Amino acid sequence: MTKLPKCEDKKLGLLIDLDTCVGCHGCVVSCKEWNSSGDEKQLSDINSHQKDPVGTFLNRVHSYERENSCTNETETFYFPRSCLHCEDAPCVTVCPTGASYKREEDGIVLVNEDDCMGCGLCAWACPYGARELDLVSGVMKKCTLCVDRIYSEELPPEDRVPVCVKSCPTGARAFGDFNDPNSDVSKKVKERGGVDLMPEMQTKPVNKYLLPRIKSKDSVSSVGSVVEEETDATGLLGWVDRALSKF
Amino acid sequence: MHPAPSIILFTVLSGFGFGLISIVGLLQFLNQISTVDIVIFSAIGLFFSIIGLISSFFHLANKKNAIKSMSQWQTSWLSREAISSIFCLSIVVGNIGWVFVQNRYINEVGIILFLLSLFTIFTTSMIYAQLKTVPSWNNMLTPALFIFTALAGGSILLLDYASLVLLLIFGVLQVLFWYIADQSFIYKETSVGTALGFSKNEDIRAFDVAHTNRNYLLNEMVYKVARKHAIKIRYISFFAAFVLPMSLILMFPGNFSISVLVIGIHFVGIYFSRWLFFAEAKHSVSFYYN
Repeated sequence: MTKLPKCEDKKLGLLIDLDTCVGCHGCVVSCKEWNSSGDEKQLSDINSHQKDPVGTFLNRVHSYERENSCTNETETFYFPRSCLHCEDAPCVTVCPTGASYKREEDGIVLVNEDDCMGCGLCAWACPYGARELDLVSGVMKKCTLCVDRIYSEELPPEDRVPVCVKSCPTGARAFGDFNDPNSDVSKKVKERGGVDLMPEMQTKPVNKYLLPRIKSKDSVSSVGSVVEEETDATGLLGWVDRALSKF
Repeated sequence: MHPAPSIILFTVLSGFGFGLISIVGLLQFLNQISTVDIVIFSAIGLFFSIIGLISSFFHLANKKNAIKSMSQWQTSWLSREAISSIFCLSIVVGNIGWVFVQNRYINEVGIILFLLSLFTIFTTSMIYAQLKTVPSWNNMLTPALFIFTALAGGSILLLDYASLVLLLIFGVLQVLFWYIADQSFIYKETSVGTALGFSKNEDIRAFDVAHTNRNYLLNEMVYKVARKHAIKIRYISFFAAFVLPMSLILMFPGNFSISVLVIGIHFVGIYFSRWLFFAEAKHSVSFYYN
């Protein structure tokens, strides 16, 4: 059913640390690999390894630059974008066939591909571009939070996390229950101020982001500019400066 | 948004069909129409509605599940649209059959058809108007414009001076819709800053894209139309959908063959209007690609 459940037990999701992400696209590659493996799963590519390739991805990493008003320098950061498993998921309620649904037990938003008619309205309703229509199978694809890993009894316990979390080389991605105030992700959100994307869309995303730390003024003083500047050092350093300045 | 021909034809043709059905229904309720005209014009309305619905079917990427779209009426406007249109068209068929066989009609069926076809057009418009992600659609002007576009088109064949009033309301709503869509205040809350979790006015630019080629998101939701062309198309649309039909109806009131010509010209105008409705609409995902 496309009515949204309350999800009072668990709210599983990802915490993504933009301060740590180095933009390697490792999560993109491992996501594509895991979600294309097996008989049932398909994230198709068209013209792969040829001219004009186009394919379906559940996770994409964007690159941005922003002005640091404190240092007047440009800073870059990377931004992995995937489904946020919103509490008020508009993609679920618009679905006419009942293919889109949000699980009551853990809040994961999924697509039942056997019911999807490929109208694409859920992709229009998502503010974040988290859903992509697979052009070969004709059904909507989205992040499943690796529901086939996190509850797997075959995988060793340490592998029972979404593959993007498992594969991230810098530990920029964490998986956990945001409904539990004592979970690692909840603690980090509290400690570092986790934010929602486009809160004005009133989707109440479960996934949270930690923004890049703002670099201080001292962080950007380059060596070159120090040499050019007059120094006001005193004491021993001042003497060295005066002595060196004579030559 | 991508102006897909299947969706544009769907909204234009089924809009006209249901508009015609609602006008027939109203006249039937008011005893202002002959039994022959009920059969003929209901059949025309039925034809256009069905062509429109078939066109929308071609938009689906997985057509075999189309029947399941009738199931989620509790939350989904698209589901309500599917149910409402099938229900309305069934009553139209029943009404045509009854009138054809009995050679008389039941007035009350007319008001049901009038309200149900208006509701169907409303559900179509709400598929778009419900989307917070597309601010230029996300207001009540969208249903108002869709309903009066349909009523104006549907009235051209059956009403003389009343169709002028409906056309005038359509014209005003159309201009108002374009005016509002141009205002920057409709995007007042969302920016690349809020898309990335920063504040609204954060100075952020993309310096690299997330993929080597275009993808579904860009093709579907980041359609860009040149501003200068959009303005020209608005003039063409307004001239064909509003100015010419008004002038021709005023010059040749009650001339049926002119009405048919007017419908043809009006269609061209509405087609361009709907093309712009999609092509000019900006989706919030485009902020990630700024």
